[in-house]
Amino acid sequence: MNEDNKMTDKKVIETEITMGTVHSAAIEPYRVRLFVEDEIVRDAEITVGINHRGIERIMEGLPVEKANSLTEKICGICSNSHIWNSVLVAEKAIGIDVPERAQYIRVIMEELERLHSHMLYLAHGSEVLGHETFAMRFFYIRETVMELLRMIGGNRVQYGVSIIGGVRPRCELDEMRILKIREGMDIIEEKILEFADRFVSDPMIMARITGVGVLTQKQAIKLAATGPTLRSTGVETDLRREMESYDPFEFDVITQDDGDVKSNLLVRVLEIPEAIKIIRQALDNLPGGKITNRSWEMQDAPITKSYIEVPRGKLYHSYSLEDGRVRNCIIRTPSITNIGAMQYAAVGHHITDAQLAIVQCDPCFTCTDRAIQIIKI
Amino acid sequence: MTALNSLIAVIGTLIVALLVSVWLPGIERKFVQARIQQRVGPPISSAGIMAPIKFFFKETINPNSPMPKLYNALPIISFLSVLFILLLTMPQLYVFAAFTSIIALVGLLKIEEVIYMFMGSLSKSIMSLKMPFPDIVKGAKHPDSPRSYLEELSSLRAFRLIAFGSFPLYIALFVPVAMTKSIYLSGIVAYQQIHGPVLFTLAGVLGAIVFFIGYMILLNEYPFAILKTKADVIEGPLMEYAAKYRAYNYITRGFLMFVLASIFTTLFLGIPPNLFSWTILVTIVVALIFPILMAVMSAFSPIFTYKQFYPTVAGVSVIGILAIIASFL
Repeated sequence: MNEDNKMTDKKVIETEITMGTVHSAAIEPYRVRLFVEDEIVRDAEITVGINHRGIERIMEGLPVEKANSLTEKICGICSNSHIWNSVLVAEKAIGIDVPERAQYIRVIMEELERLHSHMLYLAHGSEVLGHETFAMRFFYIRETVMELLRMIGGNRVQYGVSIIGGVRPRCELDEMRILKIREGMDIIEEKILEFADRFVSDPMIMARITGVGVLTQKQAIKLAATGPTLRSTGVETDLRREMESYDPFEFDVITQDDGDVKSNLLVRVLEIPEAIKIIRQALDNLPGGKITNRSWEMQDAPITKSYIEVPRGKLYHSYSLEDGRVRNCIIRTPSITNIGAMQYAAVGHHITDAQLAIVQCDPCFTCTDRAIQIIKI
Repeated sequence: MTALNSLIAVIGTLIVALLVSVWLPGIERKFVQARIQQRVGPPISSAGIMAPIKFFFKETINPNSPMPKLYNALPIISFLSVLFILLLTMPQLYVFAAFTSIIALVGLLKIEEVIYMFMGSLSKSIMSLKMPFPDIVKGAKHPDSPRSYLEELSSLRAFRLIAFGSFPLYIALFVPVAMTKSIYLSGIVAYQQIHGPVLFTLAGVLGAIVFFIGYMILLNEYPFAILKTKADVIEGPLMEYAAKYRAYNYITRGFLMFVLASIFTTLFLGIPPNLFSWTILVTIVVALIFPILMAVMSAFSPIFTYKQFYPTVAGVSVIGILAIIASFL
């Protein structure tokens, strides 16, 4: 047994249940091996890397603008986070000043994305719980955010808002758009708080999520958990506190103490009003002026790194520039660092709760699935 | 009643039952649940009529099973056992006294339940297969652990459900027996025609509640869908069924809904299914009410794991026992 008496050291366990890589119950291509004894999970292994798309490799040698656009294709949920971080790398490497108005618009987009990502999490979590009605209702509320994103970016999934030096001119926020965002925030705030209240006051749901998938603070740190998964164990960490773009805004870092499914759900539910708070502050104090700085010249740069806080945790992008082209690109999504936490959280629980324990960490295996491992046999 | 009349009544009742039952899954899952979930949902005929028709015209593939012929035969056996249950509730067959007793009813219901266990143990879905090289190299923490299939787990769960999950339904079946002091359906129906329906007594009301929970458990409906929950890693014993065999499953489920309603009307209202009587309408109405109630309940509850399942079954069984005690008062 390990230090928490949770994971077993035994070489042979009663039964192995394998699911995936393609399974009708799994949305994404990943493989779970659950080692069970009398339907209790004693160990778990999650394997990704099956759906390798090689985006970093495709980015190698591409002009930086094109490479930035390509990063949006990494994930259909946090596409804005990827392009923003990728653009930040170029801006940092070349030393480009971004107009303040553009910074505000980027923050608004990122927080809108956080809203829809968290609502997707709540909907998916409800679905895994078997509560289809709540899942449908969360999707229904999420539609408001999706429409706002479509209004700003012209698309529901890949918005293409950030470009080097600012944001695209078509993504400018005029009075009409600002009004619509404000109305949207009012609707979401009212509905999400109502549903969240119903969700946590439902005894059947609470019975399913309390004490399930527990991750201790010590283990979360040891396993390099990140984002809301880490915050659900009581660690007060949020990279937005250190990001220059978020300096003008006041918001609380939400934490919970138990590290179980309930805490994970609550962290994300309570982050929704905080995101709305940030969006409202940004709209209230939206500076005037340009949204794009075009007075910059391309130059070579060594490997430059950028970390930002995205809905699932820390996102890392780095590359160097050579004749305006991307070299040595590395991208690390939060889900890859959360995999250890997912495996750990599933252990010690009934197999029916294993999927829930994995989902509580909000995995996005498709955007994680870029790395390839070559094995010599 | 002549033999010919009886034959016509039996065949006619079966046809009516089949015609009604094909609409029930659509009413339950798509019509009621979709409205609750604020979505349009597919047409009401989709789940019970159009889906089986579609599957009948699909190409049959060999299931990944050690005994494919037996595996494919199981849905038909399941359908036949449900059909026999309906037959024995019909008043025309009460002449076969031992056959139309509560014991035969329980036996046939048990066959229907046991079939899920066989289905699970005979299905070896390709979805559970592991790829040898990456497994050995990437994982290798427990390389010698014996591998199981998801359906084997379903089979184990089906066994557990047979052992404890069906308590409420069978306890509820014995409430009218205790009240009428007869194990024969003819005796139970005759008692109620003289003394009024069992349902209109305290024991009957409690028994009906317990019966309804048992009905949901037998149909593996949310929140009691642990046997084939999609939210879990389990897809259930039905995973390897394709084409017409999947269609048989769909038809059997709808038919079972009707048949359970028919058992309820026979035991708790004293109204057996009979085409030559207006009371067949009561059976049809009950057959419609049960799925609607079930759809409402399942729309507002998550799937229960054993942690919630055991106390629920224990609690409902206690109510059932109280109902039996109340029936002696």
